[in-house]
Amino acid sequence: MTPGSTSETRAPARRSRAGALALRLTGRLAGGVFVLWAVATLTFFAIRLIPGDPAQAVLGGPGSQASEEALAAARAEYGLDQPILVQYLLQLGRLATGDFGSSYSLRTEVAPLLLSQLSGTLLLAGLSLAIAWLLALLVATWTTRGTRAAEWVGSGLEIVGAGLPHFWLATLVILVFSVGLGWLPPISTPGPLGLVLPVLTLAVPLAGFLGQVMRESLLDALDSPYALSARARGESETGVRLVHALRHAALPGISLSGWAFGYLISGAVVVETIFARPGLGRTLLNAVTLRDVPVVIGVVMIVALTYILVTVLTDLLGRIVDPTARA
Amino acid sequence: MQQQHLRPALLRATAAISALVLAGCTSSPAETATNDEPKTGGTLVYASGDAEPTCLDPHVGGNYPQALLATQVLESLVSRDSEGTIIPWLATGWEVADDGLSVTFTLRDDVTFTDGTPFDAEAVKANIEHVKDPATGSSTGYLAMGKVDSVEAVDATTAKFNLSAPDSALLESLSQTWVAIESPAGLERGTDANCEAPIGTGPFVITDWVKQDSVTLERNDDYVSPPADAGHDGAAYLDAITWRFIPDSASRYAALQAGEVDVIDNAQPDTLVAAEGEDGLSELDAPRPGSSNRIELNSGKAPFDDVAVREAFIRSAQVDEGIESLFFGTADRSYSPLASVESAAYSDPSLFEYDLDAANELLDDAGWTERDSDGYRVKDGERLTVAFPVSTNQSIPAEQSLFEQIQATTKEAGFAVELSPLDLSSWYGALAANEYDAVSAPYTKVGPDVLRILYDSAGITPAPSGYFANHSQVSIPELDALLDQANATTDEAERTDLYAQAQAIVLEGFYILPLYDQQNHYLLRDSVVGLRAMPTVSTPTFYDAWLDE
Amino acid sequence: MSALEVEAVADRLATHRSAGPRHRFGFGEILAALFLLFVLVAAIAPALLSPTDPLAIDPGDAFSPPSLAQIFGTDESGRNIYSRVVHGAASSLVIGVSATVIGLGLGVLLGVVAGLGGRVVDFGVNRLLEVLFALPGLLLALFLIVVIGPGVVTTTLAVGISTAPGYARIIRAQLIAVRSSAYVEAATVQGRGRWWILRRHLLPNTLAPLLALGTLGVGQAIVWASALSFLGLGAVPPSPEWGAMLAAGRTYLSSAWWMSVFPGLFIVLTAVCATVLGRGVQRRTRQR
Repeated sequence: MTPGSTSETRAPARRSRAGALALRLTGRLAGGVFVLWAVATLTFFAIRLIPGDPAQAVLGGPGSQASEEALAAARAEYGLDQPILVQYLLQLGRLATGDFGSSYSLRTEVAPLLLSQLSGTLLLAGLSLAIAWLLALLVATWTTRGTRAAEWVGSGLEIVGAGLPHFWLATLVILVFSVGLGWLPPISTPGPLGLVLPVLTLAVPLAGFLGQVMRESLLDALDSPYALSARARGESETGVRLVHALRHAALPGISLSGWAFGYLISGAVVVETIFARPGLGRTLLNAVTLRDVPVVIGVVMIVALTYILVTVLTDLLGRIVDPTARA
Repeated sequence: MQQQHLRPALLRATAAISALVLAGCTSSPAETATNDEPKTGGTLVYASGDAEPTCLDPHVGGNYPQALLATQVLESLVSRDSEGTIIPWLATGWEVADDGLSVTFTLRDDVTFTDGTPFDAEAVKANIEHVKDPATGSSTGYLAMGKVDSVEAVDATTAKFNLSAPDSALLESLSQTWVAIESPAGLERGTDANCEAPIGTGPFVITDWVKQDSVTLERNDDYVSPPADAGHDGAAYLDAITWRFIPDSASRYAALQAGEVDVIDNAQPDTLVAAEGEDGLSELDAPRPGSSNRIELNSGKAPFDDVAVREAFIRSAQVDEGIESLFFGTADRSYSPLASVESAAYSDPSLFEYDLDAANELLDDAGWTERDSDGYRVKDGERLTVAFPVSTNQSIPAEQSLFEQIQATTKEAGFAVELSPLDLSSWYGALAANEYDAVSAPYTKVGPDVLRILYDSAGITPAPSGYFANHSQVSIPELDALLDQANATTDEAERTDLYAQAQAIVLEGFYILPLYDQQNHYLLRDSVVGLRAMPTVSTPTFYDAWLDE
Repeated sequence: MSALEVEAVADRLATHRSAGPRHRFGFGEILAALFLLFVLVAAIAPALLSPTDPLAIDPGDAFSPPSLAQIFGTDESGRNIYSRVVHGAASSLVIGVSATVIGLGLGVLLGVVAGLGGRVVDFGVNRLLEVLFALPGLLLALFLIVVIGPGVVTTTLAVGISTAPGYARIIRAQLIAVRSSAYVEAATVQGRGRWWILRRHLLPNTLAPLLALGTLGVGQAIVWASALSFLGLGAVPPSPEWGAMLAAGRTYLSSAWWMSVFPGLFIVLTAVCATVLGRGVQRRTRQR
């Protein structure tokens, strides 16, 4: 059930695998370009529905006492006085050439600004995904088909984990690990220590989700013929679990990664705010508040692009791990 | 007048700073007596809860977050001491012409901007022109310079301000960071470059700005121009300041506790109470000048166009208990349109006594006789609704809770207060569209002239951008005349009296419900010595501060 | 956000594994049913469970810890938190249930269209879903709030719409899995008509898991909505809503933990109980 990879592929199995892969890749990339265009278009027009004059954002934000001349000058400078369709086409043209324009409020080029914020968010999201995966795997491996109590605890952990809002968990871990125990810094620091709490905050709820998925595939795996034969060969139960769990939990884990990425970006808005980390989530929130159209479009485009790349990659990876994967 | 509030705790004053009173919460007696020589060096980390400015040049726009940071970098022609007296800074003296239509400043001749440009009358002229240039997009500074027609550079050290009308508030206006003096060469780089790193004459220089993270400030070793009330001469003690942005108040306080940062601003009331029981932390309390925090009632449309309904609302709002419990004694109730640090502030507590019976009577007489099934009053089929947009960026949680309590108590009299939490742009949008009956909007300005901005009928007409400051939509010719007179007079006593009359009109007309003074609470680690808040707009200045580690 | 969770269920449903040797009417299921009953009564007739006015303030009694008189303590305005939790059940459930219904409804629509339409329709809907997935859910919510204004309706719409693509994808996948299953092929071979197959096999087998999906979605929708309250743009004060209470209580987490822990507990317990019951129902229908 990989996002976007269901059964368009009952297609000719006889074609060479490499060829099929190449074809599929091309298709995905073409689809990706379409998605980027649609996302840009949607965002561009949607943002026009928001009340508030973008020229205001140029001149010191909401509440500025800009004069009519200043507003007119700002509109002219940013092309806001053109008909909307012209603005749209100009915007598309710029985006196509990788030009994200200038931020209304920050008065800098959007592309370098976003690039400087991207690495922090990617690091946060990537680590969170990995840790979530690990946590989910641990809980699922140890508690699936164990004693009834273990299964209750495992399921319970997963459901409670998945039900914790980021903003509340963030404050809780700060109070416990930073204020109470004094182990970790409550805000981002140059070293790796500052990453621990934000990553934990993002990873725990995600691990709750992933754990529920893995529990299911594990149940399958434990009943599968190779698990039985491994047991027959005298392998320990833990060994069976680790070896087969890893392989079988890998697939849903990989296929959900693209989706989880989107989830983590929404979570990053909250986590970056609370832990005072620079990043795309905070940039997006500020830009929406200030009606900074180029920045909003820029962030959305970058997130969409990353999402597409992640899904294409995970799709390929899934195929490599398990060539017989159902479509 | 008391500039800094004393908290009932151990007091500690550092050697040179007599004007300043720091309230140390748990300092040990030995430390309290510290009179050590200031130590030079070290990097101080400041964590601001205010929004990260989009532009560091306070001429552009002009809000409080910009002033906080610019105070370390830029300097003004004059300052104000803790007694409210205007004192020399970059200007050594000034003279007001007999007709009040010009003010001539004598400038220091030994100051250079940190880019090497000399500070002179031409620089002053360039700055005032920059503030007044519509392309700059200045709002706070622009309004403050409203009566300045032009600036003449008579000679290198003499700058003459020509005014369109006498302006008794000119010096107070010029003491604000929003009209601080920047390097003309810096201004010429254009708005984009100047926003990244404005160049001033101040004790620190902006060397780096990592967006959404921090601004790095380094010491200006050639610094010579502290204001007259500063603690020492020469360069600052600190090597550098790391200016961080930590929007979440809980994380900010946790970072202070953990020692990741040395000073935080916007400490929340419950945090202040918690900090009192904490070793190694102390508090600096510096109420802002300008207006008090108040709820403005929109007299421009129904239902608050009727003074009886306004009075009924105010009489039925219970505020005192809420302020006490929500602010844990960190804020005092106000009964004035002005902050209590303003010597011209005029209070009348008798107008704000809770009286539900009186409120009910007023509403009955005003024709709001019926009540619907929910207990709200109705007239001609219309419910007595009070639309109250709340800016979630400006109102702290405790204040939002206070609004909820006012909502609950005025309901007894039959008011249906509709609180709507809005983001900043939407909030300004609601005001510009006149879709509000009540609103709370702080306004910081040095001196009582803030009354003219908030209550002069000219403030009702929105600027082209939709902005206006007279949210109560007070339009009384007599009040306008009083405010004009007060702004024109040079006689201090007469000025105070005129402003008192003006405030009485505002209060007696039940246009506003004053709540408490605008709060500025800083929490600092005990290793930070010598921090004080500027008596102008209560921003912290790190010029005299040093780290005792 | 519930789509991940939902995918988990779909995975479980797609694999037609025989139900394990699990309990029939477990102790857990009875507890879960009792708790949900309590919440339901609270939503329909809150006065039965708490006669105290949830809006009555008493600043003199603010921040009181849980006691016999006020078992969940009081909040920053001295309001009774137990009463607010009980009276908040209605709007929280409305947000949770309506958002899930909206999400599921849109999801079913898109999923069925994609699963049953031709290749072109399927391709189109799939790209549309990718576009929706590529837009951060929170942005969509912020956008709706800014355009329509904050409140229960906006929150519900925002959460509903942002969860729809997840549901759509599962339903489409489920539909395709059922369509290629042996019994549908058998029916086709027998010469049954398209609509007969749709009515007898495809829809029942595709839509059966909706109940399970829904029970999982409700709790997640409430949690998701609380994030909007954290950003200050959720339910409008003073109406007691669990997510808004959780967000408001976070400010005072270190000094008055009860302000956010009790509403939070109700959100999590509702999610847990709905899940437990949903799984139970699902197991029983499958065994039949």
